[in-house]
Amino acid sequence: MNTVVTQDLSLLYLISSASLPVQLVMLILLLVSLLSWWFIFRKLFVIRHEIKQTDEFEDYFWRGADLNALYQRATSSRYASGSMERIFAAGFGEFSKHPPGSDDKSVMESTRRAMQATYQREMDKLESHLSFLATVGSVSPYIGLLGTVWGIMNSFRSLSNVAQATIAHVAPGIAEALIATAMGLFAAIPAVIAYNRYASDTEQLATRFESFMEELTNVLQRRVAE
Amino acid sequence: MSAVDAVRNTSAPEPGVLRAGVLAVLVHVSFIALMVFGLNWKAQPPEGMVVELWQDLPQPAEPQEVPEPSPQPPVKEQPEPEKEQPEPVLEPVKESVEQQPVPESISVAPSPPKKPDIPLKQEKEKPEPPETVKEIKPDPEDLQKQAQERIAAEKQAKEKAEAERIQREKEAEQEAQRKREQEAKAKREAQQAAARARVMNEVAKYKAMILAKIRSRIVMPPDLPGNPVTEFNVTLLPGGDILNVSLRRSSGYAAFDSAVERAIYLSKPLPLPPDPVLFNEFRNLNVTVHYLE
Repeated sequence: MNTVVTQDLSLLYLISSASLPVQLVMLILLLVSLLSWWFIFRKLFVIRHEIKQTDEFEDYFWRGADLNALYQRATSSRYASGSMERIFAAGFGEFSKHPPGSDDKSVMESTRRAMQATYQREMDKLESHLSFLATVGSVSPYIGLLGTVWGIMNSFRSLSNVAQATIAHVAPGIAEALIATAMGLFAAIPAVIAYNRYASDTEQLATRFESFMEELTNVLQRRVAE
Repeated sequence: MSAVDAVRNTSAPEPGVLRAGVLAVLVHVSFIALMVFGLNWKAQPPEGMVVELWQDLPQPAEPQEVPEPSPQPPVKEQPEPEKEQPEPVLEPVKESVEQQPVPESISVAPSPPKKPDIPLKQEKEKPEPPETVKEIKPDPEDLQKQAQERIAAEKQAKEKAEAERIQREKEAEQEAQRKREQEAKAKREAQQAAARARVMNEVAKYKAMILAKIRSRIVMPPDLPGNPVTEFNVTLLPGGDILNVSLRRSSGYAAFDSAVERAIYLSKPLPLPPDPVLFNEFRNLNVTVHYLE
């Protein structure tokens, strides 16, 4: 890092004149930030889509539609189906596979297991990348801080060679170092916000799925008992 | 079969992957643009102002009011102390050079050729009538005699004119020489006066600056009656360090005296002219401070 007191303190100049470790930190943070924003938008779309589909399916289901018709619909339009629809399809498929007159308990057990398995998978899918957002939110400030500390360290070290130290000698170095912290915070803040939001959203969906599973079990049990 | 279907169903494509990527890039681009163009990154540090504090104007403030010293009266005029210094010195020289040839050309150059011209003509005109007479009275001896006399007279006249001319030339030259010397003397005197004035100017200026510096550091004791005056003798070292400060005349108020003494020590180093020759003027400085301005 040079100690030349420059008049030009534009952002690009500061970044380009930063030392290599600081630049590396900035690059990492930029990539992390890009990636986290990408996941933020992806998750936003996915979860919004999921909620919409779940709403639709619940609406359809509780309107008292025929279970066979629902199953047909779920398996035929497999790409358009939501998680809840897939859980239903897995459960009802398992249930209808058993020949009539088989053991009630074992039928309900296997149906439950099938639904549980699909539920786990769906939840896994919904929660994917959320951990990445959490990591970005907690770690990227530290990465930025590392870059800042490094930059300030260098700035002060070069100050020791100057007989008359003025704030003008250290100001550019500190400014460029602080950019790293700014970038870290810029990556972290949206990631933390998004993580909390999406975590609560998926939690809500999970509760809805679980309650639906219980209710479907009841419905199917009634069918077995008939 | 249906279980396989269910498993397959989970691999449904995620919506808006590409859109999310584009949006992420957009967010960053807009943020960077905001940082680069929106924030006003200071391109220039605020320039420090240098202010020279003057308690009152230095004494020779008159020449400063005239921005360009008119060079005609270089003796009377006090030249500017610093930058204009060469001008008043140079310009009188120029002028005197210009003036000198004028009297010379009047008194020396034109007069000698003119005067011989007139007598020569007269002499030439005079001999001609005798020539016409000669033809009437053809006396060869007389003629020869006359001619010889005439030649002698002519010669004499010529020599006389020559001598006169040389004399006049000499006188004129002497006159010019005297004039030149006078002018040079005046010039030298003017220069000396200017230099002296400059020195005095410089000394006064720095004395005023020293006083201003000391005054700025005085923490005045409040509410002294009247306008007490205190005088200090300050012994300076070259470079503006203070060797000794002694009270010369107390104001009668110990608080005021000690405040001024502290201020004198606080204003070390005192401003001194860069010219070391002038330091003698500052070796023993008499600092007089009035309570009121």
